[in-house]
Amino acid sequence: MIQQIPEPMTSRQRVLAALSRQPVDRTPICNPTSVATVELMDLVDAPFPESNRNAEKMARLAATSYTELGFDTIMPVFTIIQESSALGCKMQWEGKDNWPTVKMNEPIWAEPEDISIPSDFLTHPDTQCVLDAIGILKKEFGDEVAIIGKTMGPWSLGYHCFGVEKFLLMSLDDPDKTRRCLEKMKQATIEFGRAQIEAGADAITLPDHATGDLVSGEYYDRFLKEMHTQFVEDIPIPIILHICGRTVDRMDYIAQTGMAAFHYDSRNKPVESMETVTQRISLVGNINNPETLYAKGPEEVAAEVFENLDAGVQLVGPECAIPLQTPIENLKVIPEAVRRWHANRSEN
Amino acid sequence: MAELKDIQNEVIRQEIGEFIEREDERQKIVGLYANTSSAMHDIAANIILGEHLKVDELTRQAIEGGSDALEVMDDGLIAGMAIVGIKFRENFIFVPEVLACARAMKAGMKHIDPILSASGIEPVGKVIMGTVKGDLHDIGKNLCVMMLRGAGFEVLDLGVDTSPDDFIEAVEEHSANLVGMSALLTTTMPNMGKTIEAFIDADLRDDIKIMVGGAPVTREFADDMGADAYGANAVECVDIAKQLSGAAK
Ligand code: B12
Ligand SMILES: [Zn+2]
Repeated sequence: MIQQIPEPMTSRQRVLAALSRQPVDRTPICNPTSVATVELMDLVDAPFPESNRNAEKMARLAATSYTELGFDTIMPVFTIIQESSALGCKMQWEGKDNWPTVKMNEPIWAEPEDISIPSDFLTHPDTQCVLDAIGILKKEFGDEVAIIGKTMGPWSLGYHCFGVEKFLLMSLDDPDKTRRCLEKMKQATIEFGRAQIEAGADAITLPDHATGDLVSGEYYDRFLKEMHTQFVEDIPIPIILHICGRTVDRMDYIAQTGMAAFHYDSRNKPVESMETVTQRISLVGNINNPETLYAKGPEEVAAEVFENLDAGVQLVGPECAIPLQTPIENLKVIPEAVRRWHANRSEN
Repeated sequence: MAELKDIQNEVIRQEIGEFIEREDERQKIVGLYANTSSAMHDIAANIILGEHLKVDELTRQAIEGGSDALEVMDDGLIAGMAIVGIKFRENFIFVPEVLACARAMKAGMKHIDPILSASGIEPVGKVIMGTVKGDLHDIGKNLCVMMLRGAGFEVLDLGVDTSPDDFIEAVEEHSANLVGMSALLTTTMPNMGKTIEAFIDADLRDDIKIMVGGAPVTREFADDMGADAYGANAVECVDIAKQLSGAAK
């Protein structure tokens, strides 16, 4: 259980403490993936797709998670495709009401030898704008709020650059070749991660979609555990691993990596998940997006917040990138419910 | 009634014994293998193991040896995929393994397709499948396509990011009467409803049946939108496709 300490902390202190399982004045609210919604875009005039490509708009939209919603973190990378774009994938930028994506049916690589990280990888407009946005946010909010970056893991990059099905078939047909691909792609993960540290990030999300919806838990052990363990040294900042979907069958492996935190999905129960990771890694999550935040009301949102707090989850927030049509009112319930829970506890 | 112990092929017997837990399904699957030849069992076993080279070889041998193409398809390939679908639904295997089985199925169908189309044998039904506009998630849809093909349907796969017009055009061009739509994002789910409306506006709604699916889609949402059926997984997708096309057995 988290011990409470009396002195008030800044959001930044609170988040960093929770990421290392230190005492906090109250549980921080965090979404390490994306809080962008259409309502927030309108509010600060920073719509998709521009706010995914223009640093100033990106920073402005990201800041709403602190200024409007009352979360303790700011995370400017709303997509999972910034580095894929810089690697040369074909892109579909979409409009205001949808996320951009990579055209995975037009893969750019097929063999380990094809993989090369372009020399302009970090100065490409779609990676540069992330670095610039982090710089802007650091300057404006750096003392109070935790600024979180995002660098995609090699398994997810594999989906984008090889096509999901080809990549997954390769993993079965030729595990060694797959490992060689991961080894080469991880260079992008590390470079982009380090550049964000330099730009001012306090922590970094590392999505790597080896989810139970697609692959077995044993797969995580076989292909990723060691590499993720190494990332702790290669990217020297608290790392928040993100894998959505069912993951409780691999949380024990994930807990062994030494990463700071794991951002987990609502399809895993808070108590069961906490029991599996046994204080070796902090958990972040796991309020359901498509049903609860998107379509239900304040009471249901609060109930899921309480369930996480009761279980001792260290950082509370949505399970993944929130649906773009999520009502602001539901998001504001999260900090409010956290405060209510702590107030009740100190009364009793 | 056919019993599990009567099945001679050891792989098939083990697979059913270990992975098919629901009694009704076990009866049905055992029935599929009860009166079929050991050559067909061998093909099915290699489908289940994802051995595309062996399936390729065994199917070719069977056809050259005079086996009926429909028999090879039904009793070998399709019977194998029936077990694969259930194993995936129950999380005994995952997407890479299913993709390997699909590749094996394809290797077998390569020998069957030309014979079937030359003989003018009608498929079980014709289905148009696609992921809706704005959505690029296609793993689930592809598995449905594969299982539909594995059940003898002819499937035209429109891929991802499919606009209402693309669906309509495909229905008109291929005179298909069954449409399947997939969506994984709450932002794109409404595009299923929009596509259904477009079919109404094009005066085609009464000519076709529409089924929908994808993780965030619910039966309730499907009803509200006016879809004819909802399927939670690839096995259900095949079941409802059979019902909707009147091919339910
Ligand atoms: C893999 C994945 C991806 C891959 C997609 C690769 C690909 N080519 O498909 C990548 C990493 C690229 C990706 C990208 C994104 N994703 Co994504 N992704 C997933 C994940 C982890 C698994 C989906 C999957 O493939 N499941 C496995 C298959 C087998 O299951 P399935 O699709 O449900 O299909 C089965 C059934 O539903 C059914 N079925 C499916 N279709 C049909 C059709 C018919 C007719 C029938 C009858 C049945 C049927 O049968 C299938 C087989 O059993 C989910 C998590 C989750 N909980 O679902 C998130 C998830 C879908 N993604 C999500 C998000 C937010 C995104 C991004 C926006 C992320 C971002 N910030 O950019 C982008 C959007 C891209 C876009 N515009 O489409 C959210 C969506 C939230 C929401 N509902 O709005 C989810 C739910 C994660 C979460 N917990 O929040 N994603
Ligand atoms: Zn996610």
